[in-house]
Amino acid sequence: MSALKGLAARFKSVFATSASESRMEEEFQFHLSMETERRIAEGMSADEARRHALIVFGGLDQHREAMRDGRGARLLADFTGDVRYALRAARRSPGFAIAVALTLGIGIGVNGIVFGYVDTMLFRPLPARDANELVGVFTVDTRTGAPGLLAYEDYLDFRDHSNAFAGLAGASGVPLNLVSNGSSGASAADMVWGEMVTENYFSVLAMHPALGRFFAAGDAPVGGNADAVLSYESWKLRFGGDSSVIGRVIRLNGSEFTVTGVAPPGYRGIRTFGFWPEIFVPVGMHDVVMPGSRTLLHGRGDGWMYVVGRMRHGWTQQQTERAARLFAMQLSQAYPATDANFGITLVPGSGGFDHPAFVKPRVLTLASAMGLFASVLTLLIICANLANMQLARAAARSHEIAIRLSLGCSRGRLMRQLVAEAMVLALPGAALAALFMRLGPRFESYAVPHLQFRVGIGATTDYRVALFTGLIALVAVALFGLAPALRASRPRLAPSPANVIGTKSRGARPGRRVGGVLVVAQLAMSVVLLVGGTLFVRSMMLARGMDLGFDPSNRLLVSVNVGLQNYDESRGRRFYDEVLARARSLPDVVNATWAFPVPFDTYGRGMALYAPTARTNTREGVVVTNASVVAEDFVKSLGLRLQGGRGFTLADSAGAPPVVVVSRSLATRLWPGRNPVGARARRGGASGPELLVVGVVADATFSSLGDRTVEHAYVPLRQNYAPWQTLVLHTRADALGALPRVREIIASVDPTLPSFGAMTLRQGVESGFATARMAASVAGFFAALALLIAAVGLYAVVAGTVAERTREIGVRLALGSTPGGVLRFIMRGGARLGALGLLIGLGGAIGVAKMMGGLLYGLSPSDPVTFAIAPLTLALVVMIATYLPARRAVRLDPIAALRSD
Amino acid sequence: MAQRHPAEPDALRGSIDMLVLKALSLAPMHGYGIGLRIQQISRGRLEVNQGSLYPALQRLEHRGDVESDWQATENNRRARYYRITKQGRKALGDEVDKWKRFADTIALILES
Repeated sequence: MSALKGLAARFKSVFATSASESRMEEEFQFHLSMETERRIAEGMSADEARRHALIVFGGLDQHREAMRDGRGARLLADFTGDVRYALRAARRSPGFAIAVALTLGIGIGVNGIVFGYVDTMLFRPLPARDANELVGVFTVDTRTGAPGLLAYEDYLDFRDHSNAFAGLAGASGVPLNLVSNGSSGASAADMVWGEMVTENYFSVLAMHPALGRFFAAGDAPVGGNADAVLSYESWKLRFGGDSSVIGRVIRLNGSEFTVTGVAPPGYRGIRTFGFWPEIFVPVGMHDVVMPGSRTLLHGRGDGWMYVVGRMRHGWTQQQTERAARLFAMQLSQAYPATDANFGITLVPGSGGFDHPAFVKPRVLTLASAMGLFASVLTLLIICANLANMQLARAAARSHEIAIRLSLGCSRGRLMRQLVAEAMVLALPGAALAALFMRLGPRFESYAVPHLQFRVGIGATTDYRVALFTGLIALVAVALFGLAPALRASRPRLAPSPANVIGTKSRGARPGRRVGGVLVVAQLAMSVVLLVGGTLFVRSMMLARGMDLGFDPSNRLLVSVNVGLQNYDESRGRRFYDEVLARARSLPDVVNATWAFPVPFDTYGRGMALYAPTARTNTREGVVVTNASVVAEDFVKSLGLRLQGGRGFTLADSAGAPPVVVVSRSLATRLWPGRNPVGARARRGGASGPELLVVGVVADATFSSLGDRTVEHAYVPLRQNYAPWQTLVLHTRADALGALPRVREIIASVDPTLPSFGAMTLRQGVESGFATARMAASVAGFFAALALLIAAVGLYAVVAGTVAERTREIGVRLALGSTPGGVLRFIMRGGARLGALGLLIGLGGAIGVAKMMGGLLYGLSPSDPVTFAIAPLTLALVVMIATYLPARRAVRLDPIAALRSD
Repeated sequence: MAQRHPAEPDALRGSIDMLVLKALSLAPMHGYGIGLRIQQISRGRLEVNQGSLYPALQRLEHRGDVESDWQATENNRRARYYRITKQGRKALGDEVDKWKRFADTIALILES
């Protein structure tokens, strides 16, 4: 207790210096006056008494200093002095300070962000109790080893009869037409993605609702528990975080559900790499949510359920897996028709419960480790550069340091000063890193594609990330602050006879050579990144300017899913006809059609076509192509270019002969060298129904960069009813302006039907390019970062050379060298490093560019522009990084330089 | 630079601490009073440089062996009064034991 008080007293005296000083003075004065009074009482004169009191007290100043030392005031005073000194030094060379802040800030920040992502990916904390007891349960084909999802009936047997798990829950994604009356009374309708979950889902996860309650396991008959649980984000976004949402009735796929609870914040479904389910409904409501579909709640073998199990208390994963496999064998004997090669594999919760075929835990770990390694390595290189820089500065100050050492300045004192300097330099960098990291999670929303459902790992910067980054920052400061401090304060730098006589060698210190190698490596790396980044950016620019094959301007898109609304085919047809007719009659509308998928859609659709002449390598002789189901007028409405034949008309109806329109490259593939109009293809295979080709359109790009298949088939909606369509409206002016009236039209036909995905086709194209744009900016950012780091490294090496050769430079100047000559001489060294780095880097860049080939649009991997830009940029940076320190050498006064050692 | 103020030899510094604690073990006292009491206890045989009490007091306070606050003297003047803590008494006991053992050993050697 009193030890604590003592500590408090010490802290108080360090920080409340003035208070301690006045207390000390008052005590001293009290003491002296008491002593003086005692001596006066003994008969001395006042003056004499005072003098004697002072004598027996001892040197006042000496005691004052002893007390100041005792309370650590000296350390503090030294420290503030050091900081002030460092600040002055930083002001003298602002360029250096900025370089340190930038490189260190970005280096630390990148580490924090990468760690944040890895942390979320590998150790994502589920808001569930004892999350380490949870495992993902997948089937595995015992013959091929291919993993799969469980079917519902197998799941039920496992849950109720295997005794391998303490609890077993399942979930399956489902699209939902959501209609809700907001608190303001306004009706909100959208198609959202939710999950149908087993009733015990939340109790197996042992999760606590943020609001309300979850489903109670088995408390209602099948079809009788029309309960819905909202995800926290959905509650915030769609219901404004209104707590009165509990008990509110919403419509899902046309049926009424009651909101009973809100899932805990941050819960985005069990999978790390899945979509973020917005609404959870019990699987017992299957027939209401997915009428007519029998696949989810029936069957064995291959299924649809993502299953998560809670292991029995105290059981290891191996034990659980053994028990589950044993039971799987029993199942495969009981149901040989469906479960013949039935096996079970468990995925630990740390793997994110993702399908092991899509997300391999090992790959995930490897990628994370590589990301962390790369970012830490980057920071190490940055620190090495800064340490080099500090060394160069220390070498330039070796004279000052030597003098201070010889005057009796203790080495510890000197080290403290150098570390204080490093701290002052590092502080703005740390602040920049903190800012950078706050922005980190926002990068993700640019990186992931904008779809009709949200995906992404939702990385955040929590306390662990902050802790890690803080630690990294401290290590960085220690590295680049302490290393030169240790070196500079070695007695080697004290004036030695050799130095005085001037026989110091030309500065070919081994450390300098290591620094040179490091810089060459950095320069080479930045050339590689520069070439890669430029290729990405140029490819991006070309892709933006390319001919899409359709016209994205003034096109409005609005989607509906009438299937989810329980429409049968005839009602669906009536709906499509009526909406289209009324949309066409709107003023300012040039054309309108239904289409699905539209260009740059989130979703896709495929079709297999057979023609005897087709060039294909599939066994059945079919060509698998992308396909859209479209209504009349699709050619004009989408701005496609008809190259032959015709589009669809009302005559291409259900009873008429089936027809198809093909894209130019699909035609070339199916009927090489022939006019496709009038040709016939069979759908699905050689014995499939026959389709007559009535038209050819120019190739159109339906998806973003990378996937460049432009083979596309168009079939009429009237002959191929589809419950999910997008209304495409070609307007005369601003397309979005027509949106309210389109919504009115849809609502007037069916007020309970949600429309979703409303945007212009231009916006669709833009968001299709978002991922590529992000990739290009990331590549560009890292290229710039690498260049900056390498520039700092080169600067440090050249500055070090200048500092060490000051004497030599002095001699050269004294012997008649012109400043220009010295400049050339110094810069030649830097240029040599630059050339070497460029040469090595170009070699690597050619290899990397070749690997990138598949990702580039309209650009050869050996793009001459790119390979001209990169060396020129590097040359410029090398010039600047060399010229700045070289200039210092030129400005040297020869006399001072000669004396410098 | 750090050596500008040569510290008292360790033995003396330790003994000042012990003497201060001993003086305070009787009653709380201000610095001047502690000096007087040490003189009394040692019957004038130990002449301590009066000012060096204060660094010692500061040291003891930081260590938690004594506490201090402002109080009024008999003559109604403000003075910093020091009080020994429980930990201080223990430290004093330990220190006294150590000295006694030391003195006994010396005595043993000298008397043999």
